[in-house]
Amino acid sequence: MTAPRRLRKELVDLQESSLKSFRDIKADDDNLLRWTGLIVPDNPPYNKGAFRIEINFPAEYPFKPPKISFKTKIYHPNIDEKGQVCLPIISTENWKPATRTDQVVQALIALINDPEPEHPLRAELAEEFLKDKKKFVKNAEDYTRKHSEKRPAD
Amino acid sequence: MSGGGEEHEQRQQKARQTSTSPLPGVSSASTSSAAAAVASGGTGGNGRATPEMKRSAVRSLIQRYFHQLQSGCGNVHCTNANCASSGKVAPMTPNEVAARALQLFSQDAQLCDSAAASATAAAAAVPAPTASSPQQDVDMLSPNDSSSSSSNSSTSTITSASTTTTTSTQSQSQSQSNAQPQGTVEQTERPPMIIDLVKLSRPLSAIGTPATTPAGDSGACTPTLPPVEFLDAESLEALYLQCQTAANYDRLYQAINDVFSSVDRLSKSFVCRPGQERQHLECNSTNALNKEQLRQLEGEHDKDEDSTQRAETPAERCPDAGDAERHGDENADAVGEGDGDGDIDDNDEDEPMGQQEQNEEFLHRGTKVDFRGLRHIKRLLFGASCSAIAEQLTSSVIQLADYIRYMRLYRQDSWEQVLHCLVICFDMATNTTANNSVTDMEYLDRVLPKLCHAAAAMPVRAQARLALIWSEYCADQLQVLLSSCQQQITLQVLLDEESVRENEHIISVTKVLKIVFYANILASVLERPSCRLPLQEVVESEGAAAAAAAAALEESEDLFVYSSMQQPHMPKFAEDPLEKCLQVSYIDCRSPLVPLEEFYNEALSEHIQMHQDYLSYKTLAMESELGSSHTNYFCFMLYAFILTPATKVDALYYDCRMRMYSERYSSLYSILHNFGQDGQEGARPDLKLTVRRDQLINDALIGLELVAMSNPKDLKKQLVVEFVGEQGIDEGGVSKEFFQLIVEEIFNPAFGMFVQQEETNNMWFNATPFENGAQFTLIGIIIGLAIYNNVILAVNFPMVVYRKLMGYRGTFYDLSDWSPTLYKSLKTMLDYQGQDMEEVFEQTFKISYSNVFGELVEHELVPHGSEVLVGQHNKRLFVNLYSDFLLNVNIQQQFKAFRKGFEMVTDESPLKLLFRPEEIEKLVCGSREFDFVELEHSTEYEGGYTEETQIVRDFWSIVHAMPHESKRKLLEFTTGSARVPVGGLKCLRLLITRHGPDSDRLPTSHTCFNVLLLPEYSSKEKLEERLLKAINYSKGFGML
Repeated sequence: MTAPRRLRKELVDLQESSLKSFRDIKADDDNLLRWTGLIVPDNPPYNKGAFRIEINFPAEYPFKPPKISFKTKIYHPNIDEKGQVCLPIISTENWKPATRTDQVVQALIALINDPEPEHPLRAELAEEFLKDKKKFVKNAEDYTRKHSEKRPAD
Repeated sequence: MSGGGEEHEQRQQKARQTSTSPLPGVSSASTSSAAAAVASGGTGGNGRATPEMKRSAVRSLIQRYFHQLQSGCGNVHCTNANCASSGKVAPMTPNEVAARALQLFSQDAQLCDSAAASATAAAAAVPAPTASSPQQDVDMLSPNDSSSSSSNSSTSTITSASTTTTTSTQSQSQSQSNAQPQGTVEQTERPPMIIDLVKLSRPLSAIGTPATTPAGDSGACTPTLPPVEFLDAESLEALYLQCQTAANYDRLYQAINDVFSSVDRLSKSFVCRPGQERQHLECNSTNALNKEQLRQLEGEHDKDEDSTQRAETPAERCPDAGDAERHGDENADAVGEGDGDGDIDDNDEDEPMGQQEQNEEFLHRGTKVDFRGLRHIKRLLFGASCSAIAEQLTSSVIQLADYIRYMRLYRQDSWEQVLHCLVICFDMATNTTANNSVTDMEYLDRVLPKLCHAAAAMPVRAQARLALIWSEYCADQLQVLLSSCQQQITLQVLLDEESVRENEHIISVTKVLKIVFYANILASVLERPSCRLPLQEVVESEGAAAAAAAAALEESEDLFVYSSMQQPHMPKFAEDPLEKCLQVSYIDCRSPLVPLEEFYNEALSEHIQMHQDYLSYKTLAMESELGSSHTNYFCFMLYAFILTPATKVDALYYDCRMRMYSERYSSLYSILHNFGQDGQEGARPDLKLTVRRDQLINDALIGLELVAMSNPKDLKKQLVVEFVGEQGIDEGGVSKEFFQLIVEEIFNPAFGMFVQQEETNNMWFNATPFENGAQFTLIGIIIGLAIYNNVILAVNFPMVVYRKLMGYRGTFYDLSDWSPTLYKSLKTMLDYQGQDMEEVFEQTFKISYSNVFGELVEHELVPHGSEVLVGQHNKRLFVNLYSDFLLNVNIQQQFKAFRKGFEMVTDESPLKLLFRPEEIEKLVCGSREFDFVELEHSTEYEGGYTEETQIVRDFWSIVHAMPHESKRKLLEFTTGSARVPVGGLKCLRLLITRHGPDSDRLPTSHTCFNVLLLPEYSSKEKLEERLLKAINYSKGFGML
């Protein structure tokens, strides 16, 4: 199976960098353009679990941005029920071909840890986040416990 | 230099002796050959006088009468009742003077020219009582210069001689009255001023005495002041200030009149001096160099030239003026032996060898007009409290422009001086000052038409120069110039609606607008390599070795190779000479400085009577086919930029009809002719297509293919569609539906011919099709037929498709509406400046894309591309190859078939001549915005409705309140197309007809005539409910 040279290198680099908050990075056996990985956030309320994401690279990568979606359900103002995430760095308006996947992943982790209720995908969660932070945290923690994957041992 | 001058002198004397006029009293130096021409023409003398020469001579005679009346001959003892010097002429306004001059001419009244000349001759010699002024001494000491310049002007510009003389006599008379104060002013304040006071010696020297030395001149001395030879910003300003202090502007008037009414003098004025900031393009190096480099080169070149000239010419004389003179010299006697640096300048003659390079060099020589100074002066003079200054300037420039306009009849070659003058005059017209706009407008209004006549009369190469100069130096003025020209045209159209096409003002201004049009393009960012490069080269390079590919592309960086290969049909006569000369096309320019739409003139387009214009076009076409010489038909179709698309559609309509009728006629003829003979397939007078609804594509394909193979000309006949088993005479409605259905089916992504690009919703060719090319040919034919039959299609191509249809290659820039993200990313890459590009991007010359099945496909842009990394040195190549692959190479087969179909229908039509790709797009799929107010205003009513009827009012209030989508549906319901036709909704001519009294029937429509049948419903609510139901459930039924 073929893939752009840069993509293969980025995959190897990411795997070797052994980030604490982004692990278990794999490309599909039959499609190198589809990666999966596990996000392990540090901040509450998400630090009780881990979240599986999928990164889809277009054939024209790096001239078109990758797309990220959550496979694990998450209670987050910036991630909708289908797992779609709105990340400025990979929007078509902001995308730069020199941007590396590790930068994208860092941006994603930052967003998970610190939600941006100003640009929500789920308006009701954003409202809750702004108006009743306690309730939001509690809901999110419950939700995380219920749906998220187990955090890796180390 | 001095030797050369004398040689000229002698040669000219010989020439003069042979052509000496038999007319008594006109034998002086001021006997212009024009006058001689009249005389000899009248006596049947040498028979060489052409009508043009006569006309011009007449002109100059009238001018002489004029000046004699206005200023006098300068002879104090003049007894001529019609000479101001005699004191017998009553004071008159300029207009009266002009009328009187005409009268005198027709009466063949006495012209005291000889007197003037002899007086001058006697006097000439020493210009002024202020001979002691140091300034003049210096001038007198530069006889070579003056004699050479005068000799050139007297021969080369035959009429200019008379002009100069008249102005000089005039100045004499004026100076007589002012001599005293002037002299004193001069002596006190003169030093910084550079008014050259030489030339008066010329008439004398021309009489035949070989003695042209200053000594000889100074022999006789009368108190006259010679004309001002040239002006520059400082001298004029100084003069102005002087006059202001003295509260007497006579000298200023005189100076302005002297300089601004004479090509010779004005061409020496406002010249950039070395050291002053100046920038212009150099030439012999091609355009592969960027402008910066060019300027550097030019700088060096200039320095050389300047220094030599400085060595040769007196210090206070501007070198460039000398330059201009030498031009005159060479062209005047066409010997070109070149005194000094003639080798630099003698490229005005067309010689077969190296003509191209010479052309280039001539074109890019730039101008030496001192714009800064000029604009400063303009502000000063036009802002002056004394409005007579502007008045004087205006009339002088008008005189100059008139002169230039008729000058072409004599001199084809040297336009250098004229260009200099026109650049000055136009700049003064467009460079408006804020504080005194009334004077500005006055000048503009009066001068512009004249200037346009003058500029329009210039040969193409001079016009090309003008375009280049404007683009280089006056880009900021183009907008003003454009709108002023448009105003002129509009005004003329309104004054004379009936014969717009014969109005020579409009024609001249239109010609100038073309120059402005090209200047505008030249002033914008041009796309290089040009997309006009034939696809062939790139395609070939694709298969070649990597090195070859790179080389081919690098070569193509230097794309001034204008090629019309692979371009759609364009008749030879319709090629734009200016475009050819400048080697640019609007197609190279993606974002013009002034939007090209601003060149449309609505008033003109409305009144042009396109069928007449089309006839001129056809006449020109026929003439060029027969090889006969061009008549002076003027055809606006060759100036398509000025016509609105709606008007151009008219032209296309006439062309289509003409073709259809001629096809029909010939087939009728052949029916008659072949009657009773065997085996004739009765040729139909129209293009009939019989299709089954369920086999639409196949039937259309087979039907059209058959026609295309047996007799492709039949495609130009009017299309008549018949659905099997359905009644209905095709008056346009049936074929409209046919087009709509076929487009719907062919563009359905499930059909596999086109894919929809998710980012833009545009349709693009499926690069991996399973169908053969025939279907693409079919859709090409369909698009062509749609244009031909005036049908709007719901196709959504990116612009590059229309550019490609017109024969241009898709380039990187086209990606911007093909895939904005990709374009942006590649642009980021191009803009990246770091040297670590290889590591940052890690991009090889292998790219990948996903095909219609979502599979990843890889492609090497160059052989072994996967091993070549993109870096600073080859990023541009990468981007160009990538774009080329996506837009051209990858869909080459498909597009070729597509275009073949399109060409089958549209070849030989003036489509390309008239329309730009953007306009073609509008032609094919209409514009995308709905203006229902416009629709309401143009709607007509029948069957008892008027615009006052309650239900009609209700209808519009409902419609205006509709969301966009419903409007679209309503449009589709009533016209069969959701697109706006070219020219806007008003061109639909919607007709609303009463369809009986209140009932439960739904509204219906006749799409072929854009008729909406509306029962007179009892209430607004009911109307709204029925209407919405109708438009929402109309598919398949609603259209009749």
